[in-house]
Amino acid sequence: MNGDEATMARLMRAAQQGDRQAYAVLLEQAAKWLRRYFRKRIAAEKLDDLVQDVLLSLHGKRATYDPARPFFPWLAAIARYRWVDQLRAEYRTQTQELLEDTASEDSGEEPVMARVSLERLFDQLPPAQVEAIELVKIEGCSVAEASERTGQSPSLIKVNIHRGLRKLAAIIEKAS
Amino acid sequence: MDDATQALIDRITADTAPVRPLRKGRGLALAGLAFVVTLVAMLFLLGARHGLMTGHVSVDFLVANGLLLMLGLSCVTSVVAMASPQVGAGHDGPKWAIAMAGVLPAAGILAATAPDGVGLMHVEGVHCMVLGLAASVLIAAALFAWLRRGAPVSQRLAGFYLGVGSGALGSVANGMACADDSIAHLGIWHVAPVVIGALVARYVIARWLRW
Repeated sequence: MNGDEATMARLMRAAQQGDRQAYAVLLEQAAKWLRRYFRKRIAAEKLDDLVQDVLLSLHGKRATYDPARPFFPWLAAIARYRWVDQLRAEYRTQTQELLEDTASEDSGEEPVMARVSLERLFDQLPPAQVEAIELVKIEGCSVAEASERTGQSPSLIKVNIHRGLRKLAAIIEKAS
Repeated sequence: MDDATQALIDRITADTAPVRPLRKGRGLALAGLAFVVTLVAMLFLLGARHGLMTGHVSVDFLVANGLLLMLGLSCVTSVVAMASPQVGAGHDGPKWAIAMAGVLPAAGILAATAPDGVGLMHVEGVHCMVLGLAASVLIAAALFAWLRRGAPVSQRLAGFYLGVGSGALGSVANGMACADDSIAHLGIWHVAPVVIGALVARYVIARWLRW
């Protein structure tokens, strides 16, 4: 099964009409895509929880998908929303080694995926905020460790995390 | 795929039922219906202002209510769209409408504080503001219900637009019954419901838009 845009949109339309088989295939493909999408941007041990969280959101809000519009930008908006939610909820995450690949690397829809990627969200933030969020929220460093590694004071780390997450929450639908 | 995710997918698909996609047209129709009901209620309860039915209204009346109407329509359209999230969706239209409507309070304050102006405070103005706020409640409720059914991912902005849009349309509905055509009155007291609505929706109502 090729989880490209046209196929996923068709499966989603069928799912909205109650087609269970199409829905099961769609959710499996979406889960695979989400794993790739989040990999570099969430601690590895939290990845499955986040993917499942997004699948539940997708299910609960499946009526909000407009069949006339592309599927992946809709899924990405929900994925980003849940991702920011998770970053905001967690104050410290013990992390394992982060995996290397990203959603766009093994996708056949690179231009679309690049537009909806999480990297695009981070591009909107000042580097100091990105650094603080990556170290504390994603890699699981303490504020003191992050302060030592970046040269930012502990209070500045906290301010940068707070401001960065607030901005991320405000630009979830932004593509570039 | 891990077992837990596969089990979740199995569970989700087991209780799949058809859903009706959230169509933008239905959201606009809902908001439009709320506006028409509000308008009719205001005209029924307060009566149409002098000259409304014959088309004899002042330029200030037309400009003020025209700007508020455009502001309201712009915000309502964005709020309805925000119920269906999409990376790449821009919701900047209302910002320009807000900037344009910002001319009204500026003109109102200038006119009210001029040597021959009426001053900033007067009882009729407060009365009009309260009526404008009351007229915005049904429209705000319709938009809130629509957003709750949807999946807004920018709750603060959605809340802000909800407040501005419902406040502006409520003010227009009240404006059809208000006899005061002065720019000092229209620019301050007919814009006040928009400002109050925006603040309340942005800081209070937006919290209930989380999902």
